[in-house]
Amino acid sequence: MALEFSPETHKKFEATVSRYPKKEAALLPVLCLAQQEFGHLGQEAIEYVARLMDQPPARVRGVVSFYTMLNTKPIGRHHIQVCRTLSCALRGAEQLTGFLKKTLGIEVGQTTADGRFTLSEVECLASCGTAPMMQINDDYYENLTDEKVTEILASLK
Amino acid sequence: MDPINPIKLTIDGKEVATTKGKTVIEAAADIGIDIPHYCYHPKLSIAGNCRMCLVEIEKMPKLQIACNTQATEGMSVLTQSPKVLAIRKAVMEFLLVNHPLDCPICDQAGECWLQDYYMQHDRQASRFEERKEHDRKREVFGPNVVFDGERCIKCTRCVRFFQEITRTNELSVVNRGDHSTIAMFPDAVLDNPLSVNVVDICPVGALTDRDFRFKVRVWYLQKTPSICPGCSTGCNVSVETYQNRIARFKPRINEAVNSHWLCDEGRYCFHDLTGGERLTTPMIRQEGGLVPTTWDKALGAVLRGLRGATPLAGVLSGRSTNEEAFLFAKLMRKISPDSALEVFYQERELTEVEKILMSPDRSPNFRGAREMGVSSNGGFETLMGKIFEGQFSGAYIVGEDLLAMDNDQERIRQALQNLSFLVIQDTRMTDTARLAHVVLPSTYFGEKEGTYTNRNGRVQKLNAATIAPEGALQDSEIFIRLLDLAGDRVAYSTAAEIFHALAHEVPAYHGLDYATIGAQGAQLGGGAGQS
Amino acid sequence: MEKVLLRNIYVPGSHTLAVYRSHQGYQSWVKVIKNLRPEQLIEEIKASGLRGRGGAGFPTGMKWGFVPKDSPKPKYIVCNADESEPGTFKDRLLIERDPHAIIEGTLIAAYAIQSHTAFIYIRGELAFGAGVLERAVDEAIRAGYIGKNIMESGYDLDLIVHRGAGAYICGEETALLSSLEGGRGWPKLKPPFPATHGLFGCPTVVNNVETLAALPWIIEHGAAAYAAMGTEKSKGTKLFSVSGHIRYPGVYEVEMGYPLMKFLQEDCGGVPNGRKLKGVIPGGGSMPVLRPDELEKVNLDYESVQAAGSLLGSGGVIVMDDTTCMVRAAWNLARFFAHESCGQCSPCREGCHWMEKIFHRIEQGEGDEDDLDLILNVSGNIMGNTICPFGDAAAMPAAAFIKKYREEFEAHIAQKRCTVRME
Repeated sequence: MALEFSPETHKKFEATVSRYPKKEAALLPVLCLAQQEFGHLGQEAIEYVARLMDQPPARVRGVVSFYTMLNTKPIGRHHIQVCRTLSCALRGAEQLTGFLKKTLGIEVGQTTADGRFTLSEVECLASCGTAPMMQINDDYYENLTDEKVTEILASLK
Repeated sequence: MDPINPIKLTIDGKEVATTKGKTVIEAAADIGIDIPHYCYHPKLSIAGNCRMCLVEIEKMPKLQIACNTQATEGMSVLTQSPKVLAIRKAVMEFLLVNHPLDCPICDQAGECWLQDYYMQHDRQASRFEERKEHDRKREVFGPNVVFDGERCIKCTRCVRFFQEITRTNELSVVNRGDHSTIAMFPDAVLDNPLSVNVVDICPVGALTDRDFRFKVRVWYLQKTPSICPGCSTGCNVSVETYQNRIARFKPRINEAVNSHWLCDEGRYCFHDLTGGERLTTPMIRQEGGLVPTTWDKALGAVLRGLRGATPLAGVLSGRSTNEEAFLFAKLMRKISPDSALEVFYQERELTEVEKILMSPDRSPNFRGAREMGVSSNGGFETLMGKIFEGQFSGAYIVGEDLLAMDNDQERIRQALQNLSFLVIQDTRMTDTARLAHVVLPSTYFGEKEGTYTNRNGRVQKLNAATIAPEGALQDSEIFIRLLDLAGDRVAYSTAAEIFHALAHEVPAYHGLDYATIGAQGAQLGGGAGQS
Repeated sequence: MEKVLLRNIYVPGSHTLAVYRSHQGYQSWVKVIKNLRPEQLIEEIKASGLRGRGGAGFPTGMKWGFVPKDSPKPKYIVCNADESEPGTFKDRLLIERDPHAIIEGTLIAAYAIQSHTAFIYIRGELAFGAGVLERAVDEAIRAGYIGKNIMESGYDLDLIVHRGAGAYICGEETALLSSLEGGRGWPKLKPPFPATHGLFGCPTVVNNVETLAALPWIIEHGAAAYAAMGTEKSKGTKLFSVSGHIRYPGVYEVEMGYPLMKFLQEDCGGVPNGRKLKGVIPGGGSMPVLRPDELEKVNLDYESVQAAGSLLGSGGVIVMDDTTCMVRAAWNLARFFAHESCGQCSPCREGCHWMEKIFHRIEQGEGDEDDLDLILNVSGNIMGNTICPFGDAAAMPAAAFIKKYREEFEAHIAQKRCTVRME
């Protein structure tokens, strides 16, 4: 079955495109919409967006591959992104990552077998004052301790 | 040069007169100073990413890239200062950081810009001792192009070529940082009609020609400037040979015809035109079939046969030169004044991308041949019609295998078999030749010296790149001998002499000679011409 | 000190239009659109001495003045909310707690260059902040501050909140524009400059969040009041993001010229746990680190920090105590730059990863004596030779760490392990 937006999402797509003075400027927001809809931006999704946006698929793929937040492969329901840049590193980011690896039983870049969590390391999230911290999907979790992390993980189905 | 906005600047102490709007790299090139560069290409947009063309400009604290710096009045540029020489070494070192040690197995060796610039501008050992990044090697992009991601220096010439020239957008840069690479969209194939041009413009061995792969080291190639025999665009080529065989075509720059480009079809057309076993002796039909004979016997038989088989039709190959066409027309009309003569010409539909360069035919010299007199009325299709109707008794067909035409094979066979006398002059024993009464061994385009006149009236020079096998004769030599036998001895024999004669007799060609034609051709009517 | 930027953030509901309006919100916008001509507005901001707060410190009024007034092309104003500089989190605070100040500032800047389409480019990771901004924009549209014929002035202005998707380089203005145009975040060659050839080839100004958020106050109180604060070359106040080994990390608004050591020790609580200060990066991860002995005379302003051999940049103050392994710190930043390099030009694409690999090797105990001078040389070859300042941003900290802590690096190399310990 060919990949395509639901009618609701298609309306969002049209509304998004109409905001911009030029259609091509809406590519990133449309890709984010597609990622939300399809889970990740695989080959089919990219082809679909390319058609919608009247752009060559190779070009759209080039754009997708540039940005950290656009996933070309499926990830777990909860994407744990631990900041590893200097300010967080000075406040225990590495220990935090180590704790997560141990608790979840996976390495950085991997997903738990039940598809619940994916663990990534990312660069500065503009939360240096409340380090160490992590982002899970859209939410920031700051001033972390092992206990807090355990609580947070338990709350995420 | 535009006299309206002239400016003067100094490059390495030399005064350069140029015009407003030109960049430093262009102004330098105009006076023969080649500022080293990778990503810059005169026909593509400016990318400015290789940093190899950094130069010193007085009053500017940082070095500037010559490809994106406008020349201004009074500007003083240094291309050989200590800072510039040092940064070239630094840029070379950066480009070689992840570059694989592939030279021994890389086709680009000998014409690789990394090698060349290393020898000219660097010559220092790299200080990189870490593990190199790896990428895809030998990835087939399409039928003609193969990619090596490790050799790639990300200059993006290939990406820009497909964006700006063919507008087919097959390639893009993917990923970020030193994982950046060039890629096709998954499952896509790089097969547009101009695809192999990116092999030409790739400065390194990242994009290579599958046809040429591992065939011969480029420093063994002999290079002969000539014209592509693929179609009547007449793209300028360099015919590159090794041990008397054509190894490849490369485009020669001619802004009036093909700019920097060649189409894939033309680039490889020499394979079909030169492959197979060559005819090395004239053949004559006796009971039981074609048998070898001598030139004297063969030419005598040709003359007698044609004289006795009027009315005559004459079909000349679209790849015959003006010189050959001139003589063929003379010969046929000497034998029979109302011979019906046409140059092979078939049209086809072209796609949008093909139209960028190609002409809708496979007869590079159809115009020149017609102007030399190989033209009765009605054109080639009409002549074929008359042959089908049996209006001729004899025919002389030069350099075309009519039975290889896509349609009407049986009809053509019947028509040719119904002729009472058929002469075939060609390089190989084609299916058509098997039907002949006399077969004359001749030469292909690569062995000829002569001229083609392209579709737009540009007269361009072919030069012989290979030597014909023992036993074969140049087409012009055959025609001259036949003319002699027919009672019209001519006073000329070399290609230049033949051209001199035709320029005298064909008004449109008055005043032209090989000197005026030169390496870039000459436009009939004196205009600038266009591709 | 009068708070210019953080005046609203502790007010409950500060992110709502109702609260913003009850604190003089949008009065400056009304004043600008009703009483000022664009040229007057530009002169006022020039007179205030406001300098770009994203990192480059370029005079804001002057930047606006570069836009050709008679160009037939549409003009664009872009608020750069792509905050990604390591150690910097001030824009996020404003986005989440005072979005209307940012919006009002964006509108004012748009008017100055006669732009009718404004963008706020916010980094994709700030999902919460983007939501706050979008709701605030909706409020402003409904209140008639954005839209067609605003307050019967005849001036039209549209404002679009555009989310990025994860790339530090998109904080560089031309890369931001490439991204906003729907492409990879590749910086553009300069010249031409965005003021004449920016978004879609049209005149464009990109201003940082903090810069724009200061505009309402400046219009309300006047350029002279702003210029009365700060130093001769660094007017007004600035937000400093303080992080690392410091008792009270957070965002502080400081009058320019305030002494750095006093700031750290008194206002920020000093280095905790009885440890000693070992180094401070004053302006975000791209700027050279300063040793304690270099900090004595440093004030929080552009010229003073520059005189000390570093740069004020984004004002991201990263504090490191004596448990910090400087080799590991240098590697951490080198890794950041290697990960974020866009890959377009050769010195940065190859050089950043090269430096990261050498630092990593040293950190792991496999360095040799030539490595330090090699990094210095490679960093020198990158500086000034790239398409955009990212190359400099990667090169400067690498060189600075080695220059300032050479003995520690040499010891780490000689002993094949860390001679300190980093938490």
